[in-house]
Amino acid sequence: MKVIESLKIKEKAYIEKLENGMKIIIIPKKNTKKKYVIWGTHFGSIDNRFIMPQTGEEVFIPDGVAHFLEHKMFEQPDGTNSLDTLMALGLDANAYTTNDHTAYLFECTDNFYEGLDELMDYVQHPYFTDENVEKEKGIIGQEINMYDDDPGWQLYINIMDCLYKDNPIKLDIAGSIESISKITPDVLYKCYNTFYHPSNMVMVLCGDFEPENLLQEVKNRLIPKENQGEIKRIYPQKENSINKAEKTAQMEVSLPMFMMGFKDIENSAENRIQKHIAIEILLNMLIGKSSDLYKELYENGILLAQPELDYEWSHEYAHVLISGFSQKPELVKQKIDEAISQMQKEGLNEENFSRIKRKIYGDYVIEYNSVANIGRMFLADSMKGINSFDYIEDFETVTKEYTQNVLNDIFKKENEAISIIKPN
Amino acid sequence: MNYQKREIKKGINLHQINTENYKTNLYAVFLATPLARGEVTLNALLGAVLRRGTANLKSQEQISKELEDMYGASFNCGVEKTGDNHILKFYLETLSEEFLPQPEKLNQKCLGILFDIVFNPLIINNAFNPEYVEGEKKNLKQIIEAKIDNKAKYAYDRCIEEMFKNKPYGLYKFGYVEDIEKITPEQLYDYYKKLINNCKIDIFCSGSLNNEELLANVEENENIKKLQGREPKYVVNNEVTEKKEPTQENTVEESMQVTQGKLVIGLDIQNTEENSRFIASVYNAVLGGGANSKLFQNVREKQSLAYTAGSSYLRTKNALFIRCGIEIKNYQKALETIKEQLEDMKNGNFSEEDLENSKKLILASIDSVTEEQDTEITYYYGQELSDRFVTIEKYKKYISEVSKENVKDLANTIKINTIYFLKD
Repeated sequence: MKVIESLKIKEKAYIEKLENGMKIIIIPKKNTKKKYVIWGTHFGSIDNRFIMPQTGEEVFIPDGVAHFLEHKMFEQPDGTNSLDTLMALGLDANAYTTNDHTAYLFECTDNFYEGLDELMDYVQHPYFTDENVEKEKGIIGQEINMYDDDPGWQLYINIMDCLYKDNPIKLDIAGSIESISKITPDVLYKCYNTFYHPSNMVMVLCGDFEPENLLQEVKNRLIPKENQGEIKRIYPQKENSINKAEKTAQMEVSLPMFMMGFKDIENSAENRIQKHIAIEILLNMLIGKSSDLYKELYENGILLAQPELDYEWSHEYAHVLISGFSQKPELVKQKIDEAISQMQKEGLNEENFSRIKRKIYGDYVIEYNSVANIGRMFLADSMKGINSFDYIEDFETVTKEYTQNVLNDIFKKENEAISIIKPN
Repeated sequence: MNYQKREIKKGINLHQINTENYKTNLYAVFLATPLARGEVTLNALLGAVLRRGTANLKSQEQISKELEDMYGASFNCGVEKTGDNHILKFYLETLSEEFLPQPEKLNQKCLGILFDIVFNPLIINNAFNPEYVEGEKKNLKQIIEAKIDNKAKYAYDRCIEEMFKNKPYGLYKFGYVEDIEKITPEQLYDYYKKLINNCKIDIFCSGSLNNEELLANVEENENIKKLQGREPKYVVNNEVTEKKEPTQENTVEESMQVTQGKLVIGLDIQNTEENSRFIASVYNAVLGGGANSKLFQNVREKQSLAYTAGSSYLRTKNALFIRCGIEIKNYQKALETIKEQLEDMKNGNFSEEDLENSKKLILASIDSVTEEQDTEITYYYGQELSDRFVTIEKYKKYISEVSKENVKDLANTIKINTIYFLKD
């Protein structure tokens, strides 16, 4: 196995690419009782059009299939549900679907190998019938209703609608009641056979393990499959502008909520990690707890807490998000815009830059406190083709000059939008 | 054992948890005082004002800069209800010195800042800074008004409010809008002095710690030296103290703009025998603890009535809460199904397997107490407040010993107190 190491935080990752194309990452953690395994396929809500490698057939699927498939994977021919079986072993089991991947996981203190048996069994054995697919539509319909009532989720979907015209990132991960009504066992099998091939999957394991032994245990549980060619995913063309600058909705909330977005149009493949670190530094310098702007807005009662700051990216999308609550969301936006122009004009303050850089280092190290965080992080990063340790290692290389360039490149007025949820 | 408790002064304890499991050290100060209508709003405001500035670090901005410079140490504070106590919680988390990019001393500085925030506030003319008090009054008002934003949480809080009407536990932890206006900076400071001199104070330190160094950092801290010993005023709650008066089943319905209905049912446990909390935990796990539970299986899986269905056990009040998100038209059917499950529990209509699975779930969650720093602190603090000290090993033993007969007997002492339904 290939070993990569982070000396600063004293952790190692063992990585193996199997012959069938599956990637396995093991991060041993001595002295922890918890063990965590997460098995992900590079199939998320944005993958709604693709060419099946086996047949060359081009397939369009209804919105929400990746998530629907995730729900259905647990069901077994004998009527049992694998989620129940895992819980019965005392394991904390779950699954989730994001824009770009679907993951099956559990965390446990005991019965790890029994759990691994079940996990690897159900993920490799789909069972979809007309009847069980119909029944699931009721449950997922309830889940969609729940998201409809969630102002935070609507806020997010609306900013995606502002930033993108046709990119599937703007779709609800669960789809709509209407779109899921079109899902059939045939669609599910097509997606399963394409995306749940080992060559499209990554497994991350974290806990008190001996890596070589564990690797063998995983291999023993894999069902042989014929190699598969690359999956050709078809996405809309990259968009050179945003869709619209503003979207406002009304819901039953006490305070208006806002989410500002800056679309990273270029989204170049170079220096991904440095860019991500630079953006986090910039966001903290701009509106973090110690910033002049936050002080002003907080003291004037315009912000109640530091906004949430985020940079989301994959190869198909990339954007900066700033979100929070405020009586005056338009004013917050105006003030943030002004502060950005000022930073662009005057350059970054040296003292602030180095202090925030120290803070960001701490934020990355804290991620290594739990096996679950480590597992999720390595999986998500691996889906994007990067290695999580690089955030710790590349941290030193991010200079003030580079960060200034990122500020000028990404925080552009014409790529900016805002989503607002107002009270009824 | 990795846990030890030392009395610093009467009513002031230092709790130390030695662990090498984390990249961080976590420090906490908890102030406990009985819940009272006239004081909840003051307590909620106090935490918010204290974090605005200390005699040494006069503004939030200065505090934030200090923390960022210590590799993003993070400060957090909040109020909680634990039994009939209102707890003001202050946390400071910092990287363990071992994982810094270059050697630096952080521990003493960290504790110093935490104590400074809690015990050495910025005082101007015998009052808190009026600007801070006014600002935080506005914020608190908005926080209280925001309780409608999360519908599931709101429904749960409302059920508790109805169930404990005119009792301390029915009070809202953030207080009441109508009480905010009249609070002055002088009055808040007077209240602060009274609180600090009478409340129960617990200091928790978790991480890679040197015993002598830690004790010195606490005992020789100027702010700790200033504190007087006290006969701490607080309420001891445990299953033995919570005698329930017989009540009629009370149904409360409210309307709001929701697409999914939120059903919350509050139940009283009449059994007040010592150690019945272990039986109640198992009862709760069988009824609504996880994906195998009766509620999840029958309300969600078999009938597709809900997306969420589960229950929780509130140990300090000897009460249970059932919570479901349902389609509004399914209210009667969901309620009937839930009541059937309660009857099943009384009649012992659950298998030994259900019982064993539920125990495994609880045992796994107890095992994981030591895998999260704040969870471990909360575990020991819960024992401290309820005056029931049980080691993690003993706790597991008690859970293992619970029999089906125990659970059935307990089931027959459980009665619905309040049914709360939030609909459109």
